[in-house]
Amino acid sequence: MTDQNRKLIDSRGSSCPGPITDLAIAYRNSKIGDEIELWATDPGVKADIQAWASKTGNLVESITEDKDRITIMIKIIKR
Amino acid sequence: MSRKSVVIIGGGAGGTILANSLRKNAFDITVIDKSDKHYFQPQFLYIAFKGSKENMVRNERSLLKKHVKLVKESVSAVDLVNGIVKTVDGEYRYDYLVIATGITSNASLISGLAEINEKFGDYHTNVEQSKKVWKNLNGFNGGTIAIGQSYPLCKCPPSPLEGAFLTEEFINLKGLKGKTKIIFFTPYPRAYPAEKVNDEVEPLLKARGIEVRTFFDVDRIDAAGNTIYSIEGDSIKYDLPIIIPPCKGVSGIRYEPQSILNTDNLIKVDKYTCRVEGFDNAFAIGDAAAIPTSKSGVDAHLEAKVVAKILNKGDAKFDGRTHCPFDVGYGKGTFVIGSYDEPVIRYPITHINLFMKHVMAKIYWGSLKGTYDDIFDIYFKETNPAKLKKKYGK
Ligand SMILES: Cc1cc2nc3c(=O)[nH]c(=O)nc-3n(C[C@H](O)[C@H](O)[C@H](O)COP(=O)(O)OP(=O)(O)OC[C@H]3O[C@@H](n4cnc5c(N)ncnc54)[C@H](O)[C@@H]3O)c2cc1C
Repeated sequence: MTDQNRKLIDSRGSSCPGPITDLAIAYRNSKIGDEIELWATDPGVKADIQAWASKTGNLVESITEDKDRITIMIKIIKR
Repeated sequence: MSRKSVVIIGGGAGGTILANSLRKNAFDITVIDKSDKHYFQPQFLYIAFKGSKENMVRNERSLLKKHVKLVKESVSAVDLVNGIVKTVDGEYRYDYLVIATGITSNASLISGLAEINEKFGDYHTNVEQSKKVWKNLNGFNGGTIAIGQSYPLCKCPPSPLEGAFLTEEFINLKGLKGKTKIIFFTPYPRAYPAEKVNDEVEPLLKARGIEVRTFFDVDRIDAAGNTIYSIEGDSIKYDLPIIIPPCKGVSGIRYEPQSILNTDNLIKVDKYTCRVEGFDNAFAIGDAAAIPTSKSGVDAHLEAKVVAKILNKGDAKFDGRTHCPFDVGYGKGTFVIGSYDEPVIRYPITHINLFMKHVMAKIYWGSLKGTYDDIFDIYFKETNPAKLKKKYGK
């Protein structure tokens, strides 16, 4: 994994229109094999990203929750 | 203390409020805008869907306090390292810089969109484009209307759905309901991205027969085949398209360093102070800033006030507050209210909330000059999301 294939999106504090905006834009600019690390705070993000992944055919590799951050790792496998 | 020079690029909502809020005896203030006309952009909605003849435009000069200098020029380059703003005609040195250039729509970013945008118009670009929407709605005799945003970044998050609601109202009142299908498409997982607001508007969409296509992020348009295709692999065939073009930060300004821009041409800033990444004496406010809140006049207003406080007094923090009015048709509305710490709350749909939206439009020109600052301070305090949450529940 090179840095070029990896993108960090910090959507913490964003609730409207929210992290999915940042993810959708990152997805447009991505290529197969890219990894997106998304940081968010709104708990609703977990279900939304799962729904997004199943709709677009991409992979949610992991979701981890810390006190002040939800970290979601996404792998782009379909474009 | 010696006087300091402040250069503000862009005299829209944010730039104008900021210029008028800075201390006159401490700063030499220059606003540079490529246009001397200031439009109240939310009015585009009512030109497009209600046929309003009121364009809501004023000369920028009349909106700025006398001591603020206004220069009508287009900025072509900004050198943050050396503190210089360049236009075609001149150079401006500054002690403090504020970038408030907004975002602009650009139909050519989506394949096929420019072709239909010219004919069908849209309600996010200007008065002329908005008038085309009204004309086409009036010429419509039945079929499928497809309405939505073509890119995830968009001015005023409620505005796509407001367009759908007002379209339905128009079609219904014209007696065309039986012959018309209205499809609202959105890149989001639900009709309105914030869940609590969606809970309120979804039943309305259902009741009014507006079909919702979620996760529909526009990829391309086949103008000859009247079809919109999404990145996710779906398609919509239309008779009348009302499509909001992609919005991005303005192009045509060369920044040094270029690294302050993100992929959408927005300026990377600290979300609490609006300071440009890496520069203590430069700020970006309003739509132009990459801040995780909605692209709205209310946010431009609140961010301008924060930067004014920082420059006037030395310290202030933006809490990410949003307060977007939302017209759901038939004389009712709500507000989308949240902040960095409070995800968008539940808020009722009422006649009085729509009335408040229209009142805010009516007092817009005065609010640019600070006429209603005291009232706004109380208003934003009383409508604080943490406070309202107690009243309207989870
Ligand atoms: C249909 C619609 C409905 C809306 N409804 C609402 C609403 O109900 N409530 C709400 O709060 N907001 C609403 N908005 C959003 C609101 O209009 C914007 O968020 C707000 O105008 C942003 O202010 P700004 O100062 O950041 O940018 P703008 O007001 O867009 O101003 C940017 C300025 O920068 C100037 N500029 C750009 N490039 C250059 C350059 N190179 N050189 C010199 N000058 C330059 C432009 O000429 C312009 O004057 C709506 C918008 C639309 C389109």
